[in-house]
Amino acid sequence: MNESRTTLDVTHLSRTIQTNGKQKTIVNDVSFSFTCGTIYSIVGPSGAGKSSLLRLINRLDEPNTGDVIFNGADYRTYSPNELRRHIGYLFQTPYMFPGTIAENVRYAAEDIDDNRVAELLEQVGLSSDMADSEVDNLSGGEKQRVALARLLATKPSVILLDEPTSSLDPTATKGIEKLVRRIAEDRCLIVIMVTHDPQQALRLEGETLLLVKGRLIEHGSSERVINDPQSDEGRRYKDRELT
Amino acid sequence: MNEITFVDVAISLALVVLAFGVSRFWKVPVQKEMSLGVLRAFVQLVAVGYALDRIFAIDQIWLIALVMLVMLAVGAREASVRTKKLPGAFWLAFSAMTTGTVVTLAIMLATGLFELKAMVIIPLIGMLVSNSMNAATLTINRLFDNLTENRLAVETSLALGKNWRQASQRFRIQAATAGMVSIFNFMKTVGIVALPGAMTGMILAGKPPLEAALFQLIIGYMLLSAVTLTVVMTLELMVRRFFTPFDQFSPPTRG
Ligand SMILES: Nc1ncnc2c1ncn2[C@@H]1O[C@H](COP(=O)(O)OP(=O)(O)OP(=O)(O)O)[C@@H](O)[C@H]1O
Ligand SMILES: [Mg+2]
Repeated sequence: MNESRTTLDVTHLSRTIQTNGKQKTIVNDVSFSFTCGTIYSIVGPSGAGKSSLLRLINRLDEPNTGDVIFNGADYRTYSPNELRRHIGYLFQTPYMFPGTIAENVRYAAEDIDDNRVAELLEQVGLSSDMADSEVDNLSGGEKQRVALARLLATKPSVILLDEPTSSLDPTATKGIEKLVRRIAEDRCLIVIMVTHDPQQALRLEGETLLLVKGRLIEHGSSERVINDPQSDEGRRYKDRELT
Repeated sequence: MNEITFVDVAISLALVVLAFGVSRFWKVPVQKEMSLGVLRAFVQLVAVGYALDRIFAIDQIWLIALVMLVMLAVGAREASVRTKKLPGAFWLAFSAMTTGTVVTLAIMLATGLFELKAMVIIPLIGMLVSNSMNAATLTINRLFDNLTENRLAVETSLALGKNWRQASQRFRIQAATAGMVSIFNFMKTVGIVALPGAMTGMILAGKPPLEAALFQLIIGYMLLSAVTLTVVMTLELMVRRFFTPFDQFSPPTRG
């Protein structure tokens, strides 16, 4: 399975929704090819459609037009459940199933043993001693990390992360960034990470996609897109975010 | 008791007068509802009494079936009024209640415990339908609230590769429990807190209490069967409407 390298392409992906009688295109004709081993940061103003794009790639929503091609095949040829095990999605707000941390990590990977659970917890920067404690009292940041461990437990080859560090302190944030970079490189994963912090995109290096009003405005090396945008929207985004 | 006549009812109006006077004296502003309720109950019950008189006299299968259909339709309509949030609740409740009622009744007739006589079957249908209606209403409301309020939980399951059935399981179980809670409570307190209607009726009509109790037991088990079938059918028919064929969460909206 690791022989062939994961590929992911989205072509002309659009989604239009109805809000109080009006049509609104929240993802507008987005095309892009992702290659494994690279981290892709998605930046853009609030409401730009960043989460909506991730939901489309995970097939939690249906696009009006366009395709997602995963490992060379139309994603519709996979069952949605199988597809989502390959293309994991971490929600902007983590949800914990009632029970223990270990039960959450095992939620979608019932057969992993205690050692593997401990390993996953350590990987996301949690102590493996916590495995048997209830999730009720976890902080937002801890929940986010349990959710990440739960996602990694299914061994996805693409991971979609929606602002995974927004409720973490700087140290934990750096920890997650390091982890994400390592798993992207070691296992040649495709990591697509939404962030509201352009500095984070710069730290992650890799590539950055700038979305504005559902459109993919700029893409390229993070350094270039963040520091030297070519488009008006890109410059406006830079002026607003970096000053 | 002797044969009951309109004169007896007129005498019992003394109690209505009492209730009226008490509420008025204590300034509970319910006289209007009270008068309306008293009148309504009178008209409805007398009409039903006359109608059943005729129906029992004719005693034809087609007529029993027709009466059942009307009861189910009225019950499903009431259920859909009480479940405002879910569009299309009428047909959902109707199908589920029909399953619960018809299957239960068919089994009872097949065992020969009851004769296929209007006088026997129609009161039974009434009990089955009203219990199924309550069960369907509670189940629909609970599942609707559960799923719409737990969108993130449901979608988190889906995003981890679970199918709609797995993603909704916890919420379906809670809704099923809600739908069955009154029948469980009934079975828990029956005979201790109150004598149920059928049994009371039989005792008042002069039947030996043990016989009345055994009869009531059979009724209780019938209700359990009808309610359980209704709840399960309601869930099966309803939960699908919250998901697309691609395991995407898409709750039904009004209009
Ligand atoms: N279910 C929905 N109903 C109505 N509007 C929606 C829905 N989902 C998304 N939208 C709208 O689509 C647009 C894109 O939303 P999305 O959540 O993808 O933005 P975002 O870039 O992730 O924003 P943020 O940075 O605030 O998370 C927004 O205008 C949002 O209001
Ligand atoms: Mg978002």
